[in-house]
Amino acid sequence: MTAKSPNREPGMGFYVAVWIGLLIIVAIEVALTYQHPSAKTLLAWLLCLSFIEASVAALYMMHLKYENPKLFWSLIPITLFCLAILDYLWPDAYRIVTMGAMK
Amino acid sequence: MGGTVSDDLGIGAGHSALMEAPVFGIQVKKLTMWLFIMSDALTFGGFLFAYGYTRVSSPNWGAPFEFPTILNGIIMTVVLLTSGLTMLAAVGAAKSGDKPRSVRWLGATMLLGAIFAALHLREWFKLFGEGWRMFRNPTGGAPQFGAAFFSITGLHMAHVIVGVIVIAFITMGFRSGRFDSNHVETTGLYWHFVDVVWMFVFPLMYLLNAH
Repeated sequence: MTAKSPNREPGMGFYVAVWIGLLIIVAIEVALTYQHPSAKTLLAWLLCLSFIEASVAALYMMHLKYENPKLFWSLIPITLFCLAILDYLWPDAYRIVTMGAMK
Repeated sequence: MGGTVSDDLGIGAGHSALMEAPVFGIQVKKLTMWLFIMSDALTFGGFLFAYGYTRVSSPNWGAPFEFPTILNGIIMTVVLLTSGLTMLAAVGAAKSGDKPRSVRWLGATMLLGAIFAALHLREWFKLFGEGWRMFRNPTGGAPQFGAAFFSITGLHMAHVIVGVIVIAFITMGFRSGRFDSNHVETTGLYWHFVDVVWMFVFPLMYLLNAH
């Protein structure tokens, strides 16, 4: 997020390294799956790894790292905040079942 | 505001004096694509959060996917990630002014996107053959599985198919000179977003349901 000039964008060799890194994360996800942990543990691990994978893709493949930092700070925090709010609101739907709100 | 009205409005200084500077130093089409991507990320986020909570709170969910299905998912992931790499090559070639090379890489991206969609459809038809439907689970587990799987993967597959069509349209325009390298770059942004979404869909829809 520091460089603005397109000249500072890396070449294809770097992108191939990023691609290999992403494939390694996918391999770790598959290996973890076949350790057969509980659904909650696996969900937590897969979400963490997917988040790392998506961050790498957004920063390097989508060139967010090489854009004006204001673009990053205007878009990403608010999107993550909205996703966090979604995460907060969904389990609230279970209140209908668990707290007897329909009674 | 110290000058005359004509100075303030830039009259006589040419058309560009009346134009605002680009926001964040990028073209409007690229900013618009970023805004679309953010809103679409929330759409997928809503679907995936709903699925995630339903998945872990359903004791009878089951793990219906055998290894061949997971292997198909792994191949689809490799194909889509590779298409991201070919798209980067296309954008790089377009920016450096090498139009024929850019068009070739765009063609490779479309081909990989089409292979991804074909593998996905093959998987769907295999599941239909086994008795899976939107609200029917042939393994006796939670019937919501079909609804979650077909709606989330279907929405993603629609994005891939639309992406392939858009890349074809942009490639033709870029080849004829109607579009420039910025159009290729903006299309690339969309394609990488489709990649990013799959990075969540594959582990959550396939791996989390592996037998």
